[in-house]
Amino acid sequence: MQRTQSRLMRRENAVGWAFVTPALITFLVLTAFPFFLSLFLSFTKWNFLSGWDHIKMIGLKNFQNMMKDKRFIQALENTFVYAATTVPISIIVSLLLAYALNGKVKGRNVLRLAFFIPYICSAVALGAVFKLLFREDGIINMILVNMHVISAPLKWMVEPSLCKVPIIMLIIYTSIGYEMIIYMAALQNVPTSLYEAATIDGAGSAQKLWYVTMPMISPTTFYLIIVRLIAVFKVFSSVNIMTMGSAVVQNTSMVNEIYDAGFVSYKFGYASAEAMVLFIIILVITLINFAGQKKWVHY
Amino acid sequence: MMARKKAMPWVSMVLLGLIGILFLSPLVWMAFSSLKTTTEVFSTNFHLLPKEPQWYNYRYVWQESEINMLQAYGNTIFITVISTVVQLFFASLAAYAFAKIHFRGKNFVFFLFLSTMMVPVEVTILPRFTLFNTIGLYNNLWAIILPHWFNATAIFMLRQFYIGLPDDLMEAAKIDGATHPVIFLRIMMPLTKAALVSLMVLSIVSCWNEYLSPLIFLVKTNLYTVSQTIRWYMLDDLQRYELVMATATSAIVPILILFIACQKYFVEGIATSGVKG
Repeated sequence: MQRTQSRLMRRENAVGWAFVTPALITFLVLTAFPFFLSLFLSFTKWNFLSGWDHIKMIGLKNFQNMMKDKRFIQALENTFVYAATTVPISIIVSLLLAYALNGKVKGRNVLRLAFFIPYICSAVALGAVFKLLFREDGIINMILVNMHVISAPLKWMVEPSLCKVPIIMLIIYTSIGYEMIIYMAALQNVPTSLYEAATIDGAGSAQKLWYVTMPMISPTTFYLIIVRLIAVFKVFSSVNIMTMGSAVVQNTSMVNEIYDAGFVSYKFGYASAEAMVLFIIILVITLINFAGQKKWVHY
Repeated sequence: MMARKKAMPWVSMVLLGLIGILFLSPLVWMAFSSLKTTTEVFSTNFHLLPKEPQWYNYRYVWQESEINMLQAYGNTIFITVISTVVQLFFASLAAYAFAKIHFRGKNFVFFLFLSTMMVPVEVTILPRFTLFNTIGLYNNLWAIILPHWFNATAIFMLRQFYIGLPDDLMEAAKIDGATHPVIFLRIMMPLTKAALVSLMVLSIVSCWNEYLSPLIFLVKTNLYTVSQTIRWYMLDDLQRYELVMATATSAIVPILILFIACQKYFVEGIATSGVKG
């Protein structure tokens, strides 16, 4: 009896491992191993083209150099600017849209479709579209001049004070659909009795949004802030396409900088160190998420 | 609720409609520009509609050009299909094991997978490049496909789904002598169809739109994906923007069709993988 039981358990063990093995192998070879290799490379000076024998351990030198590297500092700064602008704006707009579309609004499905489409479209395709829209001779300038908002066409992609605007607009444009869908799902879960009680107390639409909806969906807001922050820190495609062909570095992002250091200059050691900084930022955001989920979210 | 429905003033309706139009306008501009001539795209005398639709633009980017969409579609479809099918199968296997099989080390492996949520692809792509380069997968579509076979989010979503399935189903089959592989394939996996479809559409969209990996691993023009083809026309010295817009439109249309066909699954997939308990 004992023996059959243990044999069964061993079988169960073997089957369990067999089931996770395909995912586990892919994970070990293509995620875990590259991660530790990246960690190791971040302490080395290594030009990929010079081959494996020319790896040189240099300790923390890469990280020290980074602090003096204007381009990297700029990329870091820009990425923070993108996060600080796009996350709050897109979350506020998407909450308002979701709130307006909640319930039986005429044309709700069509509108939801319109807001959601940019999220699933190729960022490269939309980046190309935005780049052309924001050209000096592009339609945005044409409209602004015709409406007398500006007197002369602006150099959106070149002017240092303006060049982040098209990218910020694109990031907001592509993220609102996602946030709105999540908010719409969350709004479904707010008990209608609360709104009814608020109506009886004489609350208007705006008051209901502020006093009933906002506190009830605060976990969702918190979740969206975290998810969007992580996404914006990884932004690459839109920036890469929109800055293509111009020598402007005022709008480069962290991943663009890692890409340039790695695959344009082949400085794999340095690029790995930059990637580690990105990893640490994302790790911190994730840890805030774990810590905050219980604390900041209140009903 | 009733009160709110009635209270929806026409001002907000008009405002919502306008925002909706604003959201679609870049795409509309793109589609119409793809049918214009080069000079028409940036003509100071703006007309939304092309004077005469230049269908030739599409024939050029799909057929006549050396860097063509037909080939890019082929490559991207190949990448998307194999990545998605294998990813969902591997994720289902692991999810079933985590939910329904008691094996030693289960929690440890689960924790390992959980930890990858914090490691973005962007951090592991440099070493992955050296790895693929060493084993001869540079300039190879498999370099894009293989990393998709592990997806932690898919594993977690499916695990939740399997946990929700009653054990009785399994016990009854076990008494009849069925083993785990049989129970998994015949009984349990078919029950997760809704979750699988949601994950499938999400995976298709992410593979179809992928840019960083192809940019790094695929340098030969005959291996270009859809995203890279757009980039190529963007970089082209001739600056034929109507062709850029034709490739961009070609890239977006299949995703739009997929979305309209499976809207419910998209929304469910995003909402369930997004909103937690």
